[in-house]
Amino acid sequence: MHIPDGFIDPKISYGLMGAAVAVLGYCLAKVREALTALAPQPALAGVGKGIKSLAGKSHRMLTKFGEQKLYLMGMVAALVFAAQMFNFPVDKGTSGHLIGGVLAVVLLGPFAGTIALAAVVIIQSLFFADGGLVALGANVINMAGLGALTGFYIYAGLRKHLTEWLSIALAAWCSVMLAASAASLEIGLSGTFALGTVMLAMLKVHSVIGVAEALITVVLVKTFRKLVPGGEAER
Amino acid sequence: MKNIILLSILIAILAAFFASANPDGLEKVAESLGFIESGVERSSVMTDYTVPFISNPGISTSAAGILGILLILGVFWLTTLVLKKASR
Repeated sequence: MHIPDGFIDPKISYGLMGAAVAVLGYCLAKVREALTALAPQPALAGVGKGIKSLAGKSHRMLTKFGEQKLYLMGMVAALVFAAQMFNFPVDKGTSGHLIGGVLAVVLLGPFAGTIALAAVVIIQSLFFADGGLVALGANVINMAGLGALTGFYIYAGLRKHLTEWLSIALAAWCSVMLAASAASLEIGLSGTFALGTVMLAMLKVHSVIGVAEALITVVLVKTFRKLVPGGEAER
Repeated sequence: MKNIILLSILIAILAAFFASANPDGLEKVAESLGFIESGVERSSVMTDYTVPFISNPGISTSAAGILGILLILGVFWLTTLVLKKASR
């Protein structure tokens, strides 16, 4: 699912880069809010420094909870990275691998999970040449923005009606189909190949890959919960 | 938490030896529809999940996987460290 450079028109790539920055910026702001607290001003700290220092130049500090959560984000990102390396065979001559979007957001919440997935995609592109550089925005949008962030809202929506495991599995499958649709759309709109044909072929193969994504996501969520009891911090 | 790191490393090593080498969904579609040539081959420090100076493919990919895991953990740990410093 990692789009290399050359599949997508530069204009679309840069647009998606901008979109990726916006999405990640929003998620970072949300995560910062959750992991930090306003530093308590010591009494009389402003005395002698004039009225300005009293006029609320507060700074946020990392809470104990925030520190734990950051470590947890690293763990989940590392797990997603490793699991993505495991290509499993689907159909003849084709393989697939986990995206891990729903895995990350179920374990970390929507915003921290999206950041974790984006970190994986960025490191894969920079250090492993997996996915293009110009196409990095597209890959972040497809796998983190759609696979993870949108995946979370699909999961949350399903969870109102279904059991947790069914919600996770269905959301995981949908997130793969969503990412595959987006990748097809980007390639099709770039004029690299006819949109309809790419879309059909991509959805066909990813409907199978998505089933594996669902199974692996459920297994890894269960495993994670067993290995890190109480590790799932509140959103 | 150590368990998760060990599990990740285990998965990476298993992937290095047992993962399917076939093209993934997107690559396969690009191949069969014939636009794979539009893609630009790129290289980086650990291109295609191999460490350049290790010739055994399984071991090379295991090493690349472990380095990738450490790199990711490092990024988050460093962020934590910087934020903790800034909080004082």
